[in-house]
Amino acid sequence: MSAFKILIVDDEELIVRLLSMSLRSDGYQTVSAFSGEQGLEVFKSESPDIVVTDIKMPGMDGLELLKKIKEIDPEKEVIIVTGHGDIDSTITALQYGASDFINKPVRDAALAIALERAKSKIAIRKKLEEYTTTLEIKIAEATEEIRRKSNFQRLLITSSNDAIVAFDRDWKVVVYNPEAARLFGEAAKDVRNKMTIDDLYTPKIAKGFKNQVKDEKDQRNFPWKEQVIHTKDGRQIPVRYASNVLFENNEFVGTVNFFQDLTEIKRLEKELVQSERLAAVGQTVSGLAHYVKNILIGLKGGSYIVDVGIQNNNTEKLKSGWETIKKNIKRIGDLTQDLLTYSKQREPEMELCSPHDIINELVELLKGFAASKNVLLSKDLDKSIDQVMADPKTIHHALLNIINNAIDACIEDEDITKKHEVKILTHIDKNHMICFEVADNGCGMDEDTRNKLFTPMFSSKGGKGTGLGLLVTGKLIEEHKGIIEIETSPGVGSTFRVKLPYTKAKPVDGN
Amino acid sequence: MSKKVLVVDDDPDVRSFVVTVLEENQYIPLIAQDGVEGLEKIEKEKPDLVILDVLMPRGSGIRLYHHLKSHEQFKALPIIMFTGIALRSFLKSQKVLDEFQGAEVPKPDIYLEKPVDPEVLAAAVRKKLG
Repeated sequence: MSAFKILIVDDEELIVRLLSMSLRSDGYQTVSAFSGEQGLEVFKSESPDIVVTDIKMPGMDGLELLKKIKEIDPEKEVIIVTGHGDIDSTITALQYGASDFINKPVRDAALAIALERAKSKIAIRKKLEEYTTTLEIKIAEATEEIRRKSNFQRLLITSSNDAIVAFDRDWKVVVYNPEAARLFGEAAKDVRNKMTIDDLYTPKIAKGFKNQVKDEKDQRNFPWKEQVIHTKDGRQIPVRYASNVLFENNEFVGTVNFFQDLTEIKRLEKELVQSERLAAVGQTVSGLAHYVKNILIGLKGGSYIVDVGIQNNNTEKLKSGWETIKKNIKRIGDLTQDLLTYSKQREPEMELCSPHDIINELVELLKGFAASKNVLLSKDLDKSIDQVMADPKTIHHALLNIINNAIDACIEDEDITKKHEVKILTHIDKNHMICFEVADNGCGMDEDTRNKLFTPMFSSKGGKGTGLGLLVTGKLIEEHKGIIEIETSPGVGSTFRVKLPYTKAKPVDGN
Repeated sequence: MSKKVLVVDDDPDVRSFVVTVLEENQYIPLIAQDGVEGLEKIEKEKPDLVILDVLMPRGSGIRLYHHLKSHEQFKALPIIMFTGIALRSFLKSQKVLDEFQGAEVPKPDIYLEKPVDPEVLAAAVRKKLG
């Protein structure tokens, strides 16, 4: 730093000159003035670092000059030279902001001390200024950094594809991003800092989140759940949501919830189901065509045999051909019936009936056929079951189909060393359902076949099955509020269980 | 002397149709209901020709065909495949059996897909037996 510039003001020229000389020899730069007015001029033009002024001068005196200088620069160091014992002027000078006082006659040592003091004050002020400036820059930088970071975080929340909603410890909404606004249909300005969790959410969701806070700490992470939310503007949106409880120093400060709109996913899922259904229709049509072709083969073959019978006058042939034709006409009839049953929704016709009568009837009907294939048909019926309210047609259809399948499974079985048997059992299970069990020790099914059982037109019987049998059975049982269970093992056999609601007495319905 | 033709098919309608066609054309029909019975009849009755269905319970036509074509004593026995299964599917099944049993068998030279007119079936039999 260059040498300090000192302005010396005194109406006595000699004193000014002497002081100047002395100060210059101490390494200061000096400028002089011989009156208050001149001092002010020089102050303005030279901008000295320190002013040393006599107090008593004609015209503008030292006090007046001090006042003017302080008006220009309140920080400027002004040292006042006073006469001994001039208390009043000294007090006035202090009020005007003089830095220091030295008595007349000015001694070099006293002036030197006063100047050193002024210099160190300037230095301190400068340092303070520097610190202040640095601090200001640092604060500005930090502020900018914070702004950037919070801006980033805000953008993060704003641009999220998930709806993000956060609550403070009083369950007031503090974060509510645009996706949340879209999802809930409430504008951010009406929600943020205004609504509570109960205003925004349905009671069920709100309760779930609130309970979460009460939970043990390790359970505070909420698993994803799915639900349909009803928005204020009447939309229904399937969502997947989760939540986190927020802690600061182990203290609950709020929660944050995340919602994902599943509308699109649900739409795609629906589309997938639709296309699977279309694929099933395709399978149905090709399966149906195959089955119809087999009927056609039978009819063609039958009519040829009839032709031969007529030509040769052969009654045996006529009979055999006619049997074939009749059998295939029946197959068409059965197929039509199955298709109709499958395609139409049908209410079960409930009446008082005896399931065991139906079973006995079926066993009578199928016994002969089973025996001709070396299959033993046996039954073990729960005697406590008597009359029940049920649709006898459903029971008849389902059991006929399943017992037929069981006999077929025995015929198909390649293990001819087995003594094949189909057992029919009934009992009431623990869920108060009447259970019909048909167990065979036939060929059983592999997993693939098992999985396709209820697929339209799937048949493991070559051209001999419509592929509708179990499908129709399943549908009838479902309409009857029942269930069907299957256990099977390849080479060991299968067990089919049909369970229907066990209703003994006729329900009171006013009739 | 009339030639013997064995019909192996599990469908009684098909059997009586084929039997009638054979009788009308002066062949002696034999019948078997499945692959196992088919092989028994072949060994016992020594037919001149076999008309073989593909999908049957107990020893399918797939297996019986492969068995006959991969055993020396039956190789020369003419076979007419007579089925509702597409030829492509049948050949695929034979290829699987080839690999499984380590024996490669020739493709069937007559493969009739049901339904077949009686004249076509009769012509096929005549072609094989003369």
